[in-house]
Amino acid sequence: MADPIRGQTAVCGLGITEMGKVYGHDASWFAGEAIRLAMDDAGLAKDDLDGLLINPGITGMMGTGISIPLQNYLGLRNLRLLNHMNSFGATASAMIQYAAMAVHHGMANYVACVFADAPLQKGGSAGAAYGGAGRRGPVGMNSLMPAFGFYGANTSYALAARRYMETYGATNDHFGKVAVAQREWATMNPHATMRTPITLEDYHNSRWIIEPFHLLDCCLVSNGAVATIVTTAERARDLQSSPAYIWGMGQGHPGNLPHAEVEVGTTSGATIAGETAYAMAGVGPQDVDVCEFYDCYTYTVLRTIEDYGIVGKGEAADWVAEGHTKPGGALPINTGGGQLSSYYMWGMTPISEGIIQARGSGGERQVEKHDIVLCSGNGGTLDTHGTVILSPNAN
Amino acid sequence: MTYEKPLPEPDENTQPWFDALREHKLLLQYFPSADHYQYPYSDRSTKDWSTEWEWRESSGQGVVYTWGRMHQLYHPSWKEEIPYTLAVVELDEGPRMQTTLVNVDPDDIRVGMRVQVYFDDITEEHTLPKFEPA
Repeated sequence: MADPIRGQTAVCGLGITEMGKVYGHDASWFAGEAIRLAMDDAGLAKDDLDGLLINPGITGMMGTGISIPLQNYLGLRNLRLLNHMNSFGATASAMIQYAAMAVHHGMANYVACVFADAPLQKGGSAGAAYGGAGRRGPVGMNSLMPAFGFYGANTSYALAARRYMETYGATNDHFGKVAVAQREWATMNPHATMRTPITLEDYHNSRWIIEPFHLLDCCLVSNGAVATIVTTAERARDLQSSPAYIWGMGQGHPGNLPHAEVEVGTTSGATIAGETAYAMAGVGPQDVDVCEFYDCYTYTVLRTIEDYGIVGKGEAADWVAEGHTKPGGALPINTGGGQLSSYYMWGMTPISEGIIQARGSGGERQVEKHDIVLCSGNGGTLDTHGTVILSPNAN
Repeated sequence: MTYEKPLPEPDENTQPWFDALREHKLLLQYFPSADHYQYPYSDRSTKDWSTEWEWRESSGQGVVYTWGRMHQLYHPSWKEEIPYTLAVVELDEGPRMQTTLVNVDPDDIRVGMRVQVYFDDITEEHTLPKFEPA
């Protein structure tokens, strides 16, 4: 039994800026571009915008990212909803959820949800942008992290991945097949940064970052922004764009406690978030046509596939290797190339591609049957999770 | 030879823990109300939010929960070390510690292998709790 809110709200506008090594602009500029593009897509004027939810990226943590002053930068005077949110990679789905509930209950009519980041500097490496080695040193027991040589998210995810591998017998071949399948999708995505096909051999030949991760296990780092406009289904029908109706929403946040309570590596918040969203939408894993999963690393995709109940625990590695997720497969996953090959806009990477697929605007990479599109967001080291289920149909 | 890698930096709350390492003792916080050992330091139990606790000495025994080999150079002082081993050890008392493994061939490391604490006096003032096969 679906919840009455199913199909009552929709994404009516999507804005994606230039992505990747785009220099000379700060995060506010990218955010402004993405919101302008999203409003143009919907056919809305500046003064129609009465809600703004903001998710800064890594530059937000460094003090140079977007925040509440974005309102003034954009000259927005009609806001009835405004907030700066951060549950890391789960934020994008959460913003859309809160926006949907707000418009459904009349707190606002058109809410822009925006992610923007500009960590890449000309001549600097992606690792320098995210590694954190240059930041001020921690004190107390946190100071043991650099003392032991733990740096960045690569480390914590590699350790989670190793636990997964040794628990279920997954190998780098399995991880590599995720990377190869997603690159095949990316070759058809004009927004994607990496569009040259790769082989499993290329994957194995890419340098180690931290074992068990090769370079091609890791997501990109991108400058850019994505904005979505959320409104009611009723309003969306009167606009020029085709709506992506919101069917299901859920969150699940197990945290990553350093005790035996949380099985890091073999669990994530997707289980709880997925159950909640499936129940709201009145669907189950067997009904899903397309998945857009947060893929900070190849491993994360396998973890997510299992926790949404698409296959059982420990079964995703062999299942992906059978080719089900690549172009022409039975259940296309990460059809734009994902964060591994298209662009890294935290949770907005899967959501943006989910909107494109739900609206049927994927061009060469459009999946024929796209009635139920399952999108995930994931933050921390599998600490936080958000789900949005989209559909081209109101009912 | 000067030790150039980042050094731990105790704060007021964790000074006793770092001082004990100098004496080759590994301490854990023990919260009696929930019979719970906790690491890293917090002023509150994650089990029942109790703020009553005491330091207790750990057995220093545990298993490898997971591990990795770092090849990326994030800080110049690690240049001679890469690739180096990183690990999470689950102590028999329950808490997990981020650490490194010594006295073991990386090819022999497995999830679940028994390990014990190895106190490495890296400078005159600093000791790190590393682990080695038990």
